[in-house]
This record gives sequence, structure tokens and C-alpha cells, in this order.
Amino acid sequence: MEKKKALIVDDSSLARMMIRKFFADGFKDWELLEAKDAQDALEKSEGVFFHLALIDFNMPGMNGIDLAEKMMERQPGLAIYLVTANIQERMQLRAQSMGIGFIRKPIDLVKITSAMQGLA
Amino acid sequence: MFLLSELEEDALKEFFNLGLGMAADSLSQMVHNEVLLKLPKLKVVPYEEATRMLSAGQDEKLVAVRQTFKGELMGTALLVFPGSESLELVRTLLSEDMALEVLAELEQETLLDVGNVILNAFLESFTQMLRLEFEFEEAEFLRGSSRFLLDITSHVAVQGDELVEQATDNDRAFVLMMDFKTSDEENTQHTLSGFVVLLFSKPAMLTLKRELALILANL
Repeated sequence: MEKKKALIVDDSSLARMMIRKFFADGFKDWELLEAKDAQDALEKSEGVFFHLALIDFNMPGMNGIDLAEKMMERQPGLAIYLVTANIQERMQLRAQSMGIGFIRKPIDLVKITSAMQGLA
Repeated sequence: MFLLSELEEDALKEFFNLGLGMAADSLSQMVHNEVLLKLPKLKVVPYEEATRMLSAGQDEKLVAVRQTFKGELMGTALLVFPGSESLELVRTLLSEDMALEVLAELEQETLLDVGNVILNAFLESFTQMLRLEFEFEEAEFLRGSSRFLLDITSHVAVQGDELVEQATDNDRAFVLMMDFKTSDEENTQHTLSGFVVLLFSKPAMLTLKRELALILANL
């Protein structure tokens, strides 16, 4: 069976490593594509179909919200979660208004699992 | 000079990012405004360099709220603002139309409250990520030069005598700094920027490095 694909975008190596570990522990049937910023993500994800995107907000260059918009244009209906330490209400409302999920850092298996349960 | 590996520094930067996120959330609730977070700029620098960085472009005195923590990780956290901005923050927190002399009277008390909330939120991220336990001492309000605010002897003296000898060498103080900015989209006069500084002695930095290595080894 073909693996599902998730896009992970975060400028922190630690954050990407943590997410990778949670997938390795709990979701082995997923294939991850990692990017260190928005530009990297846009280049690496060209022509790839994703089932899920986990995107940090605060990154060098384009921020996570703007990247999410671009990803939604590329692939309408893509399940996107903003994974961020910026937990201010305005940030959560901004994500909500775009139909993007919100995961508060630090990420853990429970939060990842909860996000995965929302996927069709 | 004590160095963290690239990955350890990246991890520490992410911890700072988490801490600043929590602190910004607390601050945004107090100022009823969004706090813009810049990309974390983490610097692990010796004492002398830190004093230069803090005072860069500042002729005036700085104000700070200092909070010491003790336990398995010992250090000092400071929230530092340019002196001129502290009254602006107090005005934002209290009332637009409050007389300057009243604001000045309330400055210390208000900043202590704010600093306490922000630094606790910030340090809590460390306790979330590191398996180290530490307790906070009472916050203090300080006003002075960067050299005065970061004075390692004073910092260590607060913690007890055991580290004083080790702290006399400037190369043994390490400072992690990060800046932030508040912004009101409709009124750019209300912009506040400052630094969060963590001051560690060398033994504390070694503890931190050891913990970072443990976390990374488990990933």
C-alpha cells in the first residue's frame, strides 16, 4: 500500500526531529518530507500530493501563514496545521479563519494523534 | 569560550522560542494587543560581549526585572527594556490619560508584575522541555547600565556563596539573549522592544549542555 505523505516545515532541527520521532513511533505508514523554511518547502513539494502539512509560523523569509496560503492554492483541501509557539489568541483566530488547524508547541504524540484523527 | 554544538544551539533556540511564545501570550493579554515575535536570535556570549550588546545604541539607562532561579539549574533571568520605553509600557498597561508623575510612581510596581509574569512564562518552557527542577526567587526591579544589570558577582551573590569564586572570571558567565517587539497596528507609537537575558555560570551551562545532549540523544 502506498504511504501517506506529510510535509513538515520548521526552521528548527529539534522541532523536525521531534515530529519525525512521533511519526516513527506512532505512524509508520507515513512518509515525511521535511523543509527548513517556506522556500525550501515550495521547492521540495512541487508536484507532490500531501495528505497533511505541519507548518511552523515563525521562520526566516515567508511565514507559516503565507506558506499555508500558497499550499492551499496548490492543493485545495490539504489538511494544514500551524505548529507554533506563538499561542496568542490573534494567531489562533487567524489560523481558524483560514481553515487551518492549530497545534501549540511543544508538539507531542497526543497532539499529533489528535490532528491525524481529523484526517479523512 | 564555551561552545554548544550546532544542534544543541538549535535546540536551545527552540526552547527560547517556546518560552518567548508563552511570554508573548501573557504580555499580549496584559497589553490587549498582539506581540510580534521576531525570529529568535540566540546569542551565547561571555559577559563582556553581552554588556556591549545590551548597551548597543543606548546612551540611556536600562531598566530590568531580574529573577533568579535555583535548583538543578541555577541562573538569572532578566527582562530588559530601554529606560524610555518602560514608562510607555506602564502607560499601555494602566491608562492612556494617566499623568506622567503618577505613571512614574507606579512604574516599578507595574514592571515587577509584568516582569514576573513574563519571566515565569518564559522559564516554564525550560521546565517543560528540560527534566530539571528549579524554583524562582522573588523578582527585583533594577535600573542602570548594562554592566550593572548583568553583573555576575551580584547575580551569583544572590544565589549563595558557593559559586562566587567561580564567577569572578568573566569568561565563565554566559548570556542567552533574545529580543521581542510589541506592536499596535493602529498606533505604532505603542511599540516596545526589549531583551530576555538568561545569565548562567559555567557549571550551569554545563548542566544545560548535558540536558540538551540527553534530549537530542533520545530523538
